[in-house]
Amino acid sequence: MALASKPATLPRTSNFGWLRRVAWLERIGLLGVLLITLIAVFGPLALPFDPMLRVAEAYQPPGIAHWFGTDEIGRDLFSRVVLGVRYTWLPGLAIIAIALVIGTTVGVFAGMVGGWVDALLQRVVELFLVLPSTLIALAVVAALGPGLLNTMIAITIFWWPWYARMARDEVRRIRSRPHVEAARIAGVKGPRLMFRYLLPGAVPALLVAATLDVANIILTLSVISFLGLGLPAPAPELGAMTSRSVDSLTAYWWLPIIPALMIFAMSVLANLAGDGIRSALRGA
Amino acid sequence: MTLPPTSTEPEAPVLSIRGLHVRLSRDGDASTVLDGIDFDLARGEVVALVGESGSGKSTIGLTLQGLLPAEAQPEISGSVRLAGREIVGAKPHALREIRRSLVRAVPQDPMGALNPTMSIGAQLRESGLSADEVLDWLTRTGLPDPRRIASDLPHRLSGGQRQRVLIAMSMAARPRVLIADEPTTALDVTVQAQILTLLKDLAREHNTAILFITHDLAVAAELADRVMVLYGGRVAEVGDTRALITAPAHPYSAGLLSARFDLDSSRDRQLVTLSAEHLRDRPVGAHCNYVTRCPLAEADCSERRPDLVRVHHGRQVACFHADRVPGLLARVREAPGWPAPVSSDANALELYRITKSFGPGRTLLRPARQTQVLAGIDLRIRQGECVALVGESGSGKSTLLRIAAGLLDPDHGDVSWLGGVPPQVVFQDAVASLTPWLTVGEQIRDRLRPLGLSRREQDFRVAGALKLVGVDPALAGALPSELSGGQCQRVTVARAVVVPPKLLLCDEPISAMDVSLAAQTLNLLGGLRRSMGMAMLFVTHDLAAARLIADRIAVLEKGHLVEIGEPDQVISAPQAPYTKKLVGAVPRLAG
Repeated sequence: MALASKPATLPRTSNFGWLRRVAWLERIGLLGVLLITLIAVFGPLALPFDPMLRVAEAYQPPGIAHWFGTDEIGRDLFSRVVLGVRYTWLPGLAIIAIALVIGTTVGVFAGMVGGWVDALLQRVVELFLVLPSTLIALAVVAALGPGLLNTMIAITIFWWPWYARMARDEVRRIRSRPHVEAARIAGVKGPRLMFRYLLPGAVPALLVAATLDVANIILTLSVISFLGLGLPAPAPELGAMTSRSVDSLTAYWWLPIIPALMIFAMSVLANLAGDGIRSALRGA
Repeated sequence: MTLPPTSTEPEAPVLSIRGLHVRLSRDGDASTVLDGIDFDLARGEVVALVGESGSGKSTIGLTLQGLLPAEAQPEISGSVRLAGREIVGAKPHALREIRRSLVRAVPQDPMGALNPTMSIGAQLRESGLSADEVLDWLTRTGLPDPRRIASDLPHRLSGGQRQRVLIAMSMAARPRVLIADEPTTALDVTVQAQILTLLKDLAREHNTAILFITHDLAVAAELADRVMVLYGGRVAEVGDTRALITAPAHPYSAGLLSARFDLDSSRDRQLVTLSAEHLRDRPVGAHCNYVTRCPLAEADCSERRPDLVRVHHGRQVACFHADRVPGLLARVREAPGWPAPVSSDANALELYRITKSFGPGRTLLRPARQTQVLAGIDLRIRQGECVALVGESGSGKSTLLRIAAGLLDPDHGDVSWLGGVPPQVVFQDAVASLTPWLTVGEQIRDRLRPLGLSRREQDFRVAGALKLVGVDPALAGALPSELSGGQCQRVTVARAVVVPPKLLLCDEPISAMDVSLAAQTLNLLGGLRRSMGMAMLFVTHDLAAARLIADRIAVLEKGHLVEIGEPDQVISAPQAPYTKKLVGAVPRLAG
């Protein structure tokens, strides 16, 4: 019998092949997301001023002493924005992570088991999907009382069904593929089939969707804060900062514009990073 | 529509390629796909480009059309002159003009080349034909009832009919060169022969040159005036078809020829396979690129690159040792025999009156619209026996295999396995039947899990199975994407036999393979089933492969078993008219 084997060394071409598939704009997105996360985690440790206290004259425009100017009671806007990034970005990531874990578990289980379990879970998911999520989230926050934790709970409740539906559909798709059929014939079943053969196939699509959702989450968080139901007053949250100062747009433009620009930048960078992850995973 | 005649001297070749080099990149790694091709195509000549996948034969076709994928960042040098016009470096609008009137292509997948939302007639009229011309061309390609075909959408046509439509579409532009890239591989054997005849007749009638790209020398032999054998982006050998097939002068052509099997190959011994890649390093610097596989290789092959030289009339060969190739042909005839078979009288598989229908069932508002795919199939396979199930696409052979595997429930009838143990299956697309994110070792090991072995015993069994199918056990840690297609097929076989099954079902395991790979797979499966005493159901559309692998051939036509018997009996004296048609359609070298 003739042997047609390659030499035993594996033909690994390059570990950075994925980077070549990512466009430069998407690389900026990935880099920006990394930078924002670093700022959110470490930025508040090295603030030039205390963001909660009056440190200068009120309504100073951006300048050397106060880079982003000062607000209506003389607090340093730069320090407040850096802290605001933490209060907006990290809850956004936390919501995504929790919704992803709940949604994926439910969805993969439903997709694998099928039958009435699947049907029941699908109806529950649809129930959540047909409700106007932002309005209901507002109602939940109003009922639980304002605050960051309650806002996060409210948004998570309305976010996981999207991932559940997506994970379920992905698993249904992968389930009928030849390699899963072949694995079943080889006798693979139960948790091993779920976690080793089905779940990894659903991860890329979910990961991309989740990255693209970061921007939506930030905007929803900001909307809730904008309406005054997020973090309570003295704490800086970018949405709340924009809303409270939007009246003074003509006189003191930096107060609403700079936090709004930060929200904008985070949303755009997160979207670009999502596209980047999709490009990187495409060839894998 | 036609260009003013630029070079109409009868001797001037319609296509002239000089020193063509093409580099393509994938994920930023550039590699040389064509490495100095020189070639002339005369008016009205049919030339077959033969080589295995990766030889660069399709790249030549794409280069001629200026259609190399932009994302591969093609670097082209050399010269390609088509009817006197240079293609290398031509502007996009010039290439469009050339594609419209000088060179046309018939693709491998006819459905992908047709617009699914537009009637056949409308698509033909889009290329500038009048309604009458459309009917005329459809008639010329031998389509029945051209009026109905013209008003149909592509999905209503069979694969062979679609390919005829595409040939009509290409030939109606009266191109100088027609590129046919494996135009028959997606079609049934009986249709293949008709399409080849049609291409040949049209080319003769309109004096169109055809560049016919194929991996099968027998298909080339039926059609082509000349054959060009490609290996690794270089021309190994060019010559008149008949002369080249009877006396190849390059060791690679000789290998391709001896690895070919047809209805006349010996069933008593294993098939001759092309010498595999030796585990020796590819030399740096100039060398013959076949040196790593060549049985005749000597020191000079690693030091200089052999040029394409004329050996005698019309024959050019790139080999230093062409004079020793005839000896090679004589030597490879001595292939090893089969291991002694193990068999018993117990039935490994029993199918009893299996019926199956597909389609929407009856509802309150309308009756059922079901098509019967299997109509009462009875089949028994003894332990150690191999039955080949032969039939065209749509005959129900894959459905029967899925029912036998327990993947699909029959509407009526019984399936029983020896000892009630479900069989193992080897699928057609080996790469798709391996999970891309798990190492091949892990996937083979999954079959050992229920046995409760220790980790070391499992590793030992996995390595043993890989060794058995001829894959280096060190590759157990590799992902499927790091293996070649042939290695993936061997891995799926290893997974099936790591716990020896009583019954192995194979669903068209060789239909997507090159000749030499197919021969190796047939040897592997034939050897394993004999030494392990496995029963085997081998589903194929290839009668030659069925004859070689099986103890009995069962012919399936439209859900009925029309004939079953000893291979040589079925083939030399076919009873059913359908079997006669299948036998007649198998391409042979000596024709």
